[in-house]
Amino acid sequence: MDLIQTYSEPELVLLLQQRSQTAFSYLYDHYTGALHTVILSIVGEEELANDVLQEVFVKIWRQMGSYDASKGRLFTWMLNIARNAAIDMVRSRQFQNGKQNRELNEDVYRAAGSTEKKIEHIGLRKLVQGLKPEWRNLVELSYFEGYTQDEISKMLDIPLGTVKTRLRSGLQALRQLLQND
Amino acid sequence: MDIQSYISSGAIESFVLGLSDAAEIAEINVLRLEHPQIEAAILAFEKSLEKQALNAPTQPVPEMKQVLMARLKTEFAQIDPAIAEGNKDKQTSLAPVVPISQSSTSSIFKYLSIAAMVLLIASAGLNFYFYQEFQSANNRYSALLIQKNSLEANMNGVQTKMLDMYQSMQMMGDPAMVKVMLPGIKGKEQNMATVYWDSRSKDVYLLPNKLPQLQSNKQYQLWAMVDGKPVDAGMISDCAGLCKLKNIPRAEAFAITLESMGGSPAPNMDQLLVLGKVG
Repeated sequence: MDLIQTYSEPELVLLLQQRSQTAFSYLYDHYTGALHTVILSIVGEEELANDVLQEVFVKIWRQMGSYDASKGRLFTWMLNIARNAAIDMVRSRQFQNGKQNRELNEDVYRAAGSTEKKIEHIGLRKLVQGLKPEWRNLVELSYFEGYTQDEISKMLDIPLGTVKTRLRSGLQALRQLLQND
Repeated sequence: MDIQSYISSGAIESFVLGLSDAAEIAEINVLRLEHPQIEAAILAFEKSLEKQALNAPTQPVPEMKQVLMARLKTEFAQIDPAIAEGNKDKQTSLAPVVPISQSSTSSIFKYLSIAAMVLLIASAGLNFYFYQEFQSANNRYSALLIQKNSLEANMNGVQTKMLDMYQSMQMMGDPAMVKVMLPGIKGKEQNMATVYWDSRSKDVYLLPNKLPQLQSNKQYQLWAMVDGKPVDAGMISDCAGLCKLKNIPRAEAFAITLESMGGSPAPNMDQLLVLGKVG
């Protein structure tokens, strides 16, 4: 049986919503590398990234009915699912590791400082390394570690307004880097 | 609002990367509809993110796909819509595709389910038809039952009447019966009655041969003349054959008068109809 090589995004979405196995197979083949990179850049460990990736594909498959193309591209939707799942995994790991140490702040500071070398060379995170340090740190904390701007403001003792402005400037700069990539 | 400065504010990147709060998301969802430049900027950033991610793939463990496919096996559509659609497109250029067993099974199910549907509709129609038939048969049955009961009652009445008549005939033929003819009196000659008087029991029976039709409040009364005096011998009611009246031990004559319903203690001589002497 011939496999159809490419689908337009609306075709792919429609087929996935009709629970097509072929479409899911195509989705997996097409996006698994990208999503794996996203997840690995957040969780840092291969084994953990595999676990998260499997759950992310199951989630994408099961939540396909709620995907709304008017709110964004399919990849953006999947990217957010992958990012959230990866951050949740990191958080629950930190929670388990930090059971003896109930001080959240301490945990948070430790996390803020702990950017493993390996992670920094993966995907979007690699690009972020090219940002000015004051922006880079905020993008790291918010996008890759999942802290809210309020948490970051307290963590770094910087006013919330300043966190917001700097983060946005950092994201703006990230777009420039992406375009030149 | 300055669209350019909004676009260069980082709000779009924040939104696409999932870092915006609810108010910021609501704002951008309104703005993107109003300003095509904002929509275009969102799309452009999404595409550049996607391109970057697709260009830097890292692969998970190779058995991942197999594991996933096995895990979702039961959730895939029975007939893969992608294959179904693919075959449709190819039919013009390729030899007819031999259906795989899965799709032929499901097409059998499709036919079966259509057949079941047709049968169900036909059965519903028949049910309705049979119910109508049953209703009409039931109505006719009830009507017949009523008719049968009324016929039965009629027949019982006729039978009783016939029995009465038979007994009357027997009595009339009895030699012990004294027959007294009561012809109409002068001026009322068209009237006629007959008294049958049992010489053993002294019971009196009357046969109203010919008496005028009664008004509903009137009744005929038989009188026995005993020693020249009228004695009540009973009221004549609507009876088949002979009407059994009173026991009269002796009498010289019998007469019938028209009286009010229930009779009178003394005869109304103006209304004398028939009169006949015994012997």
